[in-house]
Amino acid sequence: MNIEYFFNSLAFIKPEIVISLGVVVILSLDLFLKNGKKLLPYTSILFLLVTLYYLVEQMMVMEPAFKPIDYFPMVAVDSLGTFFKILVVVASVFLVLFTMITKEFDEKFDRFGEYYTLIFGMILGMFFMISATDLILIYLSIEMVSLSSYVLAGFLKPSKRSSEASLKYLIYGAVSSGTMLFGISLLFGLVGSTNLFEINKFFSMMGAPSVIVFFSVLLIFAGIGYKISSVPFHFWTPDVYEGAPTPITAYLSVASKAAGFALLIRFLKLGFIGDIVSDGIWSTLPVFNWQDFLVIISILTMTLGNFAALWQDNVKRMLAYSSIAHAGYLLAALAVQTEAGVLAVMIYFAIYLLMNLGAFLVVIIINNQVNSEHIDDYDGLGYSMPYLGVMLGLFLVSLTGLPPTAGFIGKLYVFLALLDKNMLVLALIVLLNSVISLYYYIRVLKHMFLNKKKEAVEQVPNKIFESSVVFILGAPVLIFGIFFTPLVDFAKTSIHFLFSAF
Amino acid sequence: MLTEFGKIFAFLLIAIIFVIVTVFVAKLVRPARPTTEKLLTYECGENPVGSPWIKFNIRFYVVALIFLIFDVEIVLLVPWIMVYKEAQILGFVVGAIFLFLLALGMAYEWRKGDLEWVRPNPVPPTIKKPEIPQEISTNPSTPPLNQV
Repeated sequence: MNIEYFFNSLAFIKPEIVISLGVVVILSLDLFLKNGKKLLPYTSILFLLVTLYYLVEQMMVMEPAFKPIDYFPMVAVDSLGTFFKILVVVASVFLVLFTMITKEFDEKFDRFGEYYTLIFGMILGMFFMISATDLILIYLSIEMVSLSSYVLAGFLKPSKRSSEASLKYLIYGAVSSGTMLFGISLLFGLVGSTNLFEINKFFSMMGAPSVIVFFSVLLIFAGIGYKISSVPFHFWTPDVYEGAPTPITAYLSVASKAAGFALLIRFLKLGFIGDIVSDGIWSTLPVFNWQDFLVIISILTMTLGNFAALWQDNVKRMLAYSSIAHAGYLLAALAVQTEAGVLAVMIYFAIYLLMNLGAFLVVIIINNQVNSEHIDDYDGLGYSMPYLGVMLGLFLVSLTGLPPTAGFIGKLYVFLALLDKNMLVLALIVLLNSVISLYYYIRVLKHMFLNKKKEAVEQVPNKIFESSVVFILGAPVLIFGIFFTPLVDFAKTSIHFLFSAF
Repeated sequence: MLTEFGKIFAFLLIAIIFVIVTVFVAKLVRPARPTTEKLLTYECGENPVGSPWIKFNIRFYVVALIFLIFDVEIVLLVPWIMVYKEAQILGFVVGAIFLFLLALGMAYEWRKGDLEWVRPNPVPPTIKKPEIPQEISTNPSTPPLNQV
C-alpha cells in the first residue's frame, strides 16, 4: 500500500486548504478574543482573497488529484472547476459585504462566529462539489453544502419565517439526498465502482440503454436538481428564499447553484460522453438520452418559474421564482451538449452572479429602510431613493435580458449555442419565457417609479459603503453589456475539462 | 515470548486490573452521601419508571449530536491506525490535525455554554418588527407577539 499520492495531491488543493484554515482561524477568533466578533468579516474577506489568489494561480493546471496508482482520481483539478470556484469565492466576498450591510440580524446576535464558520464550511463543500469525480465524494460534498445551508437559512432564530424556511429546506434536502444516494447505489450495483471515469468506461462498453441506468440517473439527478432548483425538485426554493436572511438567500441563489451546475456538467461529461469530440460537439453514449431529458426539464423549469413569479407580491419570493427560471435557461444551454453550450452556461453564470446579487443587495438596503419586502411598500421608492431605484432597474432589466445590459449577452450566448445545433423550438421557448419575465421584473419598477405615495417624498440619504457595493455590482453589468470580450475570452480559456485521467 | 493470543490476554488482564483498582481507589477517596435521587437507577436524568411519552429537554439533542461527532471520530480513527506505521510522521500530522479540529469544536461548544444543562445568560428572543403573516397561516384570534 502506498499513500504517497495523498500527500502529493495536497499541492493541488491549496484553495481548499486555505478555506479549511479559514474555518479554524475564524472559530478561534470568536473563541479566544473578546472583541473577535468585529474582526470576523475582515478575516473572512482576507481568507477569501488568499483563496482567490491560489485559484488564479491554479487557473491553467489540469491535473488529477488524489489518484491512487493504477486507478482513477477522486478529484479533478481543471480550469472549468477553477472558473466556477472563482465564481463561488466572488459570491462569498459579496456575501460577507451583504452581511455587514443588512440589519436583519439583531444587535444582540452573538453567533457570528458560527455564521462565518458555516459559510466557510459551505464554500469548502462547494469546492469539492465542483471538482469531485467520485460519486461518494460528490454525495459527501453535497451534504456538506446542504447541512451548512440548512442552518444558515434558519439563522434568524426569533423569526418564524426563518425557522420555517430552515425546516422545509431540511426536509426536502433530506429526501432528495436520500433519493440521490439510492441512485448512486443502483449505479454502483451495475458498474461496481463509484468513480465517474470507471462508470464512463463501463457505459462505453455497454452500448444499449438500460432501465437501471435510466432510473439511477433519474434518482441522482434528484440530488443535483435540488441544488440547482430545477423543476420537479424546486419546491423548497420560494419558501427558503423568502424566509432565510436575505444575504443567505442571495448566496444560495448564486453560489450553491453555480456549484450544482458545475457538478452537473462534470457528471454529464465524465460519465456519459464518449471520447471523441469533434468541433466541440459531444458524442453522447447511448446509455441515457441526456438531450431530451434536459430539454424537457429545462422547458418545465423556466416556464413554471416564470409563470409562478407573475403572481408574487413579495419581492424576495419573486426573485426566488426568477432564479428557478434562470436555472431553466441554463439547463437549456446545457441540453445542447456542445462546448458552446458549456461556454454559454459559464458566461451566463458569471453575469447572473453580478445581476442577481445586485438585485438582492438593493432588496436588502430597501429592507433596512422600510422593513418590508412587499411590493406595495416599494411604492414611490424611486423618488425617495433614486440611486437605488435606478440600480434595481438596471439589475432587473439585465435579469430580463435586454440590451445594453450584460444579461443580454448571457442570453445571446445561450441562443447561439441552441441555434448552432438547430434547436429552434427550444430557442423559441426561451425567447417567449424572457418576454413573460419582462412583466414581473418591470412590475417592480412600476411600483417604484409610477405608483406615487400620497405623503411628501423624503430623500433618504445614501450611505457610502452600501452605495459603493451596489456600484461594484452594477458597473460590470453595464460594462459587460457593451464590452464583453474579456468575459468571453476568460470563459473560453477556462473551458478545458480534465477528461482522461491518464 | 507472548503469542498473539497471549498479547490479547495480557491486554484483558490489564483492563480488568485497571477497573478493579480505579473502583477501589474511588471508594477510598469519595464521600458517601446517598439521597433518593442518587440511589435511583441511572436513566440520564429522567424518571426511570413511568410513561416513555413525556416531554424531555431539547438539550438532549445537543448532547446526542456531540456524542455522535465523537463516535464518528472513533470510526474515522480506526483506518488511520491501520496505516499509521506506513505513513510515518506525515500520518501523525494528519491525525493530529483531525483531532485538533474536533477539539476546537468541542472547546467552542464548551465556551459558548452549549454543554451546560441550562444555558448561562440566555438571550431571550426579541422581536423587533411585527411579522407580516404571508405564507404561514397564523390564528387571527391570537394577537401579534409584540402586543402580548
